Amino acid sequence: MTVTSPPSQFTALPGGGIAHGSYADVPYEDKLALWEEVKADARFPDYMYGCYECGICVAACPSARFYDFSPRKIAQAAAREDVELVFEQMNDDVWNCSQCFSCNRCPRQNSPGGLITLLREVAVRNGLTTAKDALEGYGRVVYKIMTTGTQISPDMLQPDAFPDWGPDVEKTSDNLELWRRALPPETLHTTEMSWQVSDETLIELYLIWLHSDVMDMIEQADEGLHMIILDVMEETLEDAGYEV
Amino acid sequence: MPSNRVVVIGAGPTGLEAARLAAELGSPVTLIEKKDVPGGMPIHADYAALTHHFRDASEAMAEMIDAVTSNDLIDIRTGTEVTAVDGEAGAFTVGLAANGSSESVDAGAIILATGFQHFDPGRETQQYQYYELPDVVTIADAEKMIKSGSFVTPSTGKTPERVAFIQCVGSRDRQIGNEYCSKVCCGISSKQAIEIRQMVPDARVFIFYIDMRMYGYWENEIYWPAQEEHKVNYIKGIITEILPKGGRLVVRGEDTTMGRPMEVEMDVVILAVGMEPSEGTTAMSGILNLPTNKYGFVETAHDILDTVTTTVPGIFAAGAAVGPADLDDSIASAGAAAAKAVSLIRSAGVPV
Repeated sequence: MTVTSPPSQFTALPGGGIAHGSYADVPYEDKLALWEEVKADARFPDYMYGCYECGICVAACPSARFYDFSPRKIAQAAAREDVELVFEQMNDDVWNCSQCFSCNRCPRQNSPGGLITLLREVAVRNGLTTAKDALEGYGRVVYKIMTTGTQISPDMLQPDAFPDWGPDVEKTSDNLELWRRALPPETLHTTEMSWQVSDETLIELYLIWLHSDVMDMIEQADEGLHMIILDVMEETLEDAGYEV
Repeated sequence: MPSNRVVVIGAGPTGLEAARLAAELGSPVTLIEKKDVPGGMPIHADYAALTHHFRDASEAMAEMIDAVTSNDLIDIRTGTEVTAVDGEAGAFTVGLAANGSSESVDAGAIILATGFQHFDPGRETQQYQYYELPDVVTIADAEKMIKSGSFVTPSTGKTPERVAFIQCVGSRDRQIGNEYCSKVCCGISSKQAIEIRQMVPDARVFIFYIDMRMYGYWENEIYWPAQEEHKVNYIKGIITEILPKGGRLVVRGEDTTMGRPMEVEMDVVILAVGMEPSEGTTAMSGILNLPTNKYGFVETAHDILDTVTTTVPGIFAAGAAVGPADLDDSIASAGAAAAKAVSLIRSAGVPV
């Protein structure tokens, strides 16, 4: 007996694992290079030991309840070093994780969430289109944090000021106080409370981001945003007496 | 005639240990072995390293054999078969045949240690085309290759790039009739996977499994190191069929983790065959009138609290004759059988 017409997407891949990839147009070598970058990260050995499919990470994962997302699949693909599968996940699954690290209760001491951190960083650093798409909605948050050292607080949420936050922003802002009270933790911080960050702290934060390649990653993800942050922060630095 | 002699049938690890201990406790022992050399499966099937400590099998067995041959209380009879057993506990007569001549020895107690045989994937169902495809082998075949020091693709003699193990072949299978787990195959496959990764560092090694049953220290000493240090790929999902394709083998199955069907090329596929009762176990259970379970293994009388006493007074069974067993189990039950055999002889009032 011989195989006459196997489904082409399931054929063995060069040096790879057993999965077919959804990104057939991307050369295998490129996918391999990204995986090698993930593996080369000093954190990798602490995030990936081995997986025996117990599923505790999925059971603990909030995202798994709402999305077609499984931290177990992330760990498995990494354990198998399945280049095709990892590339697929790097483009899709990793953006469904909220990075809460509930999955760290893994009895093998893996960290699927940590793997996702690495996969996201490599995706952004290499300017994958899917990473840019996934981060598009966060431009305002990034801008706010990196130029003020603090974030958007709930009382800033206004329908006319935040159209990019989707159709529900009006409903949310109308009943904001009620929504916030419905949340279990104390999250009622507003612009009037613990919100202001000193210039010294802001500059320190910014310099950390600048020297730890965070700014380079932002440039890969969103060139325009990178330019604006650079402009604002260079001015802040100059005002504070730094040579830019 | 009342006798203080213990007759041990089978000179594999279990029989050797039972004979050694019975003699150490003071009984004269006759150790019967059908084959011309003692040592059992580790010797006759050319085992490389023992699971789970990776100890050299020949070296370990030589030590066991030395302990028996150097003991004057033990009469070891190779090339000898048991033809009949008469009498009762404390006073058996065991008929022996060797080289066309026959004789009989008296025995106060008998220990059956006739072990298992490897499941034959070609029997009945032609599973995975084992007889047709030269690159489909069993863990017994792979063990021989590993012992020879060269692991190659059998059909070409070349170094394989991709090697797959398929677990539970001939075990946990109602259609085949072997519903039990053979206990050792998960550990042996993982051990061999480590050895293959060491011998052929560029090869990718996959283990397709239903459950990995790595009890006790096998977990941390074999399973985790295989995954974490030796990068063996464990894929949950059993292969349904193996097909030849362009000089390679295509294995078909489900990648259950990812929820996708898979069809992957391999150079060598190793079937993790389980245990079945050996011919000796089948023949001896008939001669000794020992009831067997539906799988043909000898049934013990008291289940889990006494794993070696059979329903026939004075006859004990140990090791893989009573069901799938690893070496630890076999050696432990050999000790229990030897102690109970000598104890029975003493309680019958025969001086030991």
